[in-house]
Amino acid sequence: MVKKLLHKQNSVLWIIAILLIFVPLLSKSSYFQDIAILTFLWAGLASSWNLYCGYCSRTSIGHAAFMGIGAYTSTLLYQNFGLSPWIGMFAGVLISMLFALILGGATLRLKGTFFVLATIAFGEIIRITVVTQENLTGGSKGLIIPFKPSFGNMIFSDKISYAVLTWIYMLIVILISCKLEHSKFGYYLIAVGENTGAAESLGVDATRTMTLAYLLSAAFTSIGGTLFAQYYMFIEPDSVMAGSVSNNFILISIIGGLGTAFGPFVGSLIITPLSNLLRGYLSFISGLHGFIFSLILMVVILFKPSGLLPQIIAFVKSKNRKEG
Amino acid sequence: MQQLIQVIISGLLAGGIYSLISVGLTLTFGVVGIVNFAHGEFLMLAMYFSYWTFTLLNLDPYQSLLINMVLMALLAVVVFKTVFQRVLSADHSIQTILTLGLSMLLQNFALMIWKADYRNVRIPINNATLNLGGIILSLPKVIAFLIAIGMSVALYIFLQKTYTGVAMRAISQNMKSAQLMGIELKKTYLLAFVIGVVLVGVAGSLLIPIYPAYPTVGNSFCLLAFIVVVIGGLSSVPGAIFGGLLVGVVESLAGYFIGPAYQQAAYFVIFMIVLLVKPTGLFGKSTT
Repeated sequence: MVKKLLHKQNSVLWIIAILLIFVPLLSKSSYFQDIAILTFLWAGLASSWNLYCGYCSRTSIGHAAFMGIGAYTSTLLYQNFGLSPWIGMFAGVLISMLFALILGGATLRLKGTFFVLATIAFGEIIRITVVTQENLTGGSKGLIIPFKPSFGNMIFSDKISYAVLTWIYMLIVILISCKLEHSKFGYYLIAVGENTGAAESLGVDATRTMTLAYLLSAAFTSIGGTLFAQYYMFIEPDSVMAGSVSNNFILISIIGGLGTAFGPFVGSLIITPLSNLLRGYLSFISGLHGFIFSLILMVVILFKPSGLLPQIIAFVKSKNRKEG
Repeated sequence: MQQLIQVIISGLLAGGIYSLISVGLTLTFGVVGIVNFAHGEFLMLAMYFSYWTFTLLNLDPYQSLLINMVLMALLAVVVFKTVFQRVLSADHSIQTILTLGLSMLLQNFALMIWKADYRNVRIPINNATLNLGGIILSLPKVIAFLIAIGMSVALYIFLQKTYTGVAMRAISQNMKSAQLMGIELKKTYLLAFVIGVVLVGVAGSLLIPIYPAYPTVGNSFCLLAFIVVVIGGLSSVPGAIFGGLLVGVVESLAGYFIGPAYQQAAYFVIFMIVLLVKPTGLFGKSTT
């Protein structure tokens, strides 16, 4: 029966993804619950990045800007107007999509390298704006969300509620990725990503396809930003919109498998717990933690650029074939 | 009025170093075809090399310039053979992510062994100034400018007048035709990359009397180099020289008229404008 299931790889992955909620639910340790929450959150964020950059074979290094926009929008609306972050989240989505539309309109048609540089410039401009406009955004000092737990405030006193929230977020983005993969839109997107000219010659509206995907990606990254803010109760430019945040999306997606629905999920499953555990054990040598992860990233991209998920699937398949 | 001239000249002096940092990048991109996001980290390592030769061997950065160049050349060969050579014909995304990973690797490496403290080279020349008709110029910056522009122009002459230089330009124009002409790609790639890194190394030596070394110092300079290279035109050395000077002056003027916090924003704006209007840059070719 397992053999049959393996033929539908995604089913197995779905089951794993769904069952994972039991880790925080049954765990007595607040530390492990925290790791679970972060794993779900980063899986969702990386999957959002993957929606455009994975399927369309582009690299956006400034994507964290959307996460930051989402986080700051919902937080500022909550702090200044008492607006519920649930609504603030959608406001963040709208603003992110607006920026994505403007930026995208200008840059999506640029050749690979130029697009990457444009995303870096965009990310930096947003970051500099937030840092310099201290009166509005609190600048480098960041913003604190006062602890008033209630569902309406998206603030919870127990970790399990956050776990469920981030878990649902992750599942939604994975679901969208799955639907995308098997839809006409998805095929267009992948085609445009692989060879824009050829796709256009076959009648695909490349600009429209890329723009829609980019908007989608920005929107969900923004939602992740809001969730991040609500969990940590504190945001600053370095934690939600720095280059290192964008690099994390890339690292997770590459390790798991770029351009696949479950790639970023697997990536986060491997990286996030490992990263948190290592950070604890290796904190005595600053930089060792980052060094190891950069090394892993480079080794994977050099020798297994399609990520570890295909390897894992192939491995499991071959084992079953031997035993079967 | 005199203040304005002072501001512009300060900008030009800074621009000289920006040009030197950027010509290496544009050469790597033009000839090898890889965008090296770890470019800033080579600058950072060069600055540390200079710092350590000063601290351990008591040689000031100008005296250790040649040693620095040799060290950087060796580093370039090692990095090229282990990292870049494997992805010469790979997808752009893979090259991008690889160099990004290299950048993070080198930054963390520096953090691990040298810690995050700012390292300064304290020599008498640090605070020396020249007085040119009322305009005060920082001597280390003037020296840096002269050597930087000198080397950039030397590179330009090399690319125009020597066989290897012309071969590099040929490759950057059309790789297949260059091969048909009998140009050995692999050796030329390596040489182009090494030259680029050595130049950035020189920039590091010139920079250390003016600016401290720390693990992430490469970040802002790298970003700046990319902006200069886009403004000037990828694979155009004159473009990088002009772009560097332009960015230096714009940065200086922005700092003077708008405020230091917005200096970076100023050249990002120019960057975006160039990307939108003429992505191939001011001196770049319109075809690829």
